[in-house]
Amino acid sequence: MSAVVVVHGGAWAIPDDLAKASVDGVKAAAREGFSVLKVGGSALDAVEAAVRALEDNPVFNAGHGAALNADGEVELDSIIMDGRTLASGAVSSVKNIANPVSLARAVMEKTSHVMLTCRGANLFAESIGMATVPADKLVTEYERKEWDKQKNYVTGVMEDFNSQWAHDTVGAVAVDSTGNVACATSTGGIRNKMVGRVGDCPIIGSGGYADNLSGAVSCTGHGESILKVTLARLILSHVEQGKSVADSSQLSLQYMGDRVRGAGGAIVVSPLGQWEATFTTERMAWAAVDRDVLWYGLDPNERLKEQI
Amino acid sequence: MILLFLSFRTPQRYFAQVKDMLPVVVVHGGAGQIPKDRTEMSTAGVCSAARAGYTILCGGGSSMDAVVEAVSVLENNPCYNAGCGSVLNIKGEVEMDAIVMDGKTLGSGAVSAVRNIANPIQLARLVMDKTSHSFLTAEGANQFARSMGVPEVSPESLITEYSRMRWVKNLAPDANPVESQMGKMGTVGAVAVDSEGNIACATSTGGMLNKMEGRVGDTPCIGSGGYADNLFGAVSTTGHGETIMKVTLARLILFYIEQGQSVEAASDLGLAYMKSRVSGLGGVVSVDPQGRWAARFSSQQMSWAAAQTETLHYGLYAGEHFTQSLEKPL
Repeated sequence: MSAVVVVHGGAWAIPDDLAKASVDGVKAAAREGFSVLKVGGSALDAVEAAVRALEDNPVFNAGHGAALNADGEVELDSIIMDGRTLASGAVSSVKNIANPVSLARAVMEKTSHVMLTCRGANLFAESIGMATVPADKLVTEYERKEWDKQKNYVTGVMEDFNSQWAHDTVGAVAVDSTGNVACATSTGGIRNKMVGRVGDCPIIGSGGYADNLSGAVSCTGHGESILKVTLARLILSHVEQGKSVADSSQLSLQYMGDRVRGAGGAIVVSPLGQWEATFTTERMAWAAVDRDVLWYGLDPNERLKEQI
Repeated sequence: MILLFLSFRTPQRYFAQVKDMLPVVVVHGGAGQIPKDRTEMSTAGVCSAARAGYTILCGGGSSMDAVVEAVSVLENNPCYNAGCGSVLNIKGEVEMDAIVMDGKTLGSGAVSAVRNIANPIQLARLVMDKTSHSFLTAEGANQFARSMGVPEVSPESLITEYSRMRWVKNLAPDANPVESQMGKMGTVGAVAVDSEGNIACATSTGGMLNKMEGRVGDTPCIGSGGYADNLFGAVSTTGHGETIMKVTLARLILFYIEQGQSVEAASDLGLAYMKSRVSGLGGVVSVDPQGRWAARFSSQQMSWAAAQTETLHYGLYAGEHFTQSLEKPL
């Protein structure tokens, strides 16, 4: 059985000057994830490796490069889920951690809990010896400038989301050679968000869900809308009803648009290796590796490929 | 001719039936195993919460007003693990989670790890009503409470002798907080449909006994601790949070309803799936848009009460279902 990894770098109106860097970033992350699968690594290891690569890349709103909140600080959310056991780990509003996805994984593997928040999450990071980074190290010059521009948060999130200001979540899904699926999602949230705002990303069933019986999903887009329809779980409920991963993602994103006027994107993989990257926003940077072929795209219906 | 006659009559009769069954409110005081000396208290508590919610509904209040009122009554009752009476975390402190959801808009509000607030459910509603966000956590949630003029209460005012005793007991190295949790009333919650047909849910908790600082359970997570949708119904859950999250229990039950299952069958299917797939026990209160409701649990007990058509329903053990006219005082 062939292993597959799919990654996204966020669904939003990605401006032209960030387009190439975004596509390069997701391609590199997909390769990173696939290199884990290729040597027999688990889906869980692959999604963690792919999301770490995206978190380390300053072009994306996660880890290094994250959006700043109303106080000009970075607060990060992340989730990881193992489709074999339905176990998951998540952190919300964590600070000074370069790779929140790895902290989320530690919550899953080293505690009896599923989610840790804020100071408690940082205390846990400390207790397991995870290195902290100075707050400034996660902030890019680009983000500081954009934040200054937008400091007066009067336009409302929905308007912002439809503008070029928004800057979204990263994620990955994978199926390994034994048929196990996993997902991971990580974000800095919405620019100028209230202190302590938690979006869809770390909420199981919204930011992501993975189940060996149906598949794995990672979502991106307007967080509050994704929460309203629990997008990841909704997509998999369609898969459970016998629909293809492509139809399931399209139906669910369309439902989110019709019912709550939210735009977004999702990547999905099934236990048999079918996959899809779909979005209703202007753009979404995505990449997938399937049988030594790297697929990628940015604009709607764009599907480019190159041999690895 | 007969067929024509029937198809003409049926929708009208159906409509009349629906009108009769609304409004309705169903509450739970947590699934688990309740010590004998506390059973009467916990039954009385859910009955008064259901009455409080029903009074709001009968006065023309919305289902959202009703579930928030019912859950506030339970938060204020030291008998339950929410608001005053919350279990303590590993450091002996109270950190609370809560969620509300409006089935009309699918809007929700939630708080996690919030401190020194008497009624986290009311703060969750403020997050929904007064911010563009759905979820605020920890210190940020407390900052928001201050900005809204929500009074802070002293940490001690939320702690009972009973919760402190259980905290100390579970500090022992051989203690099993998950097992022990089942000995105390869990999470509280409510679902309601008002006479307009709008549906809402609310869930509130102190979380898990001797939890790590900052632990967030199923309660504030949409789809796990609760979900409400005017098209299909509402569910509020209780039980072992970590396993409820694994199956996103509230959303799962509503998927079953969407696929044509009755409220009761959908609730049982969801709980049975959670038991077989991830060995988790819990309980739910559920309601559909027509006002049909269910209070189901796979744990030994769950205190629950419902108010509908001037009748109060309540129970604690499996199969128990008492009724009483709502005109009589309890």
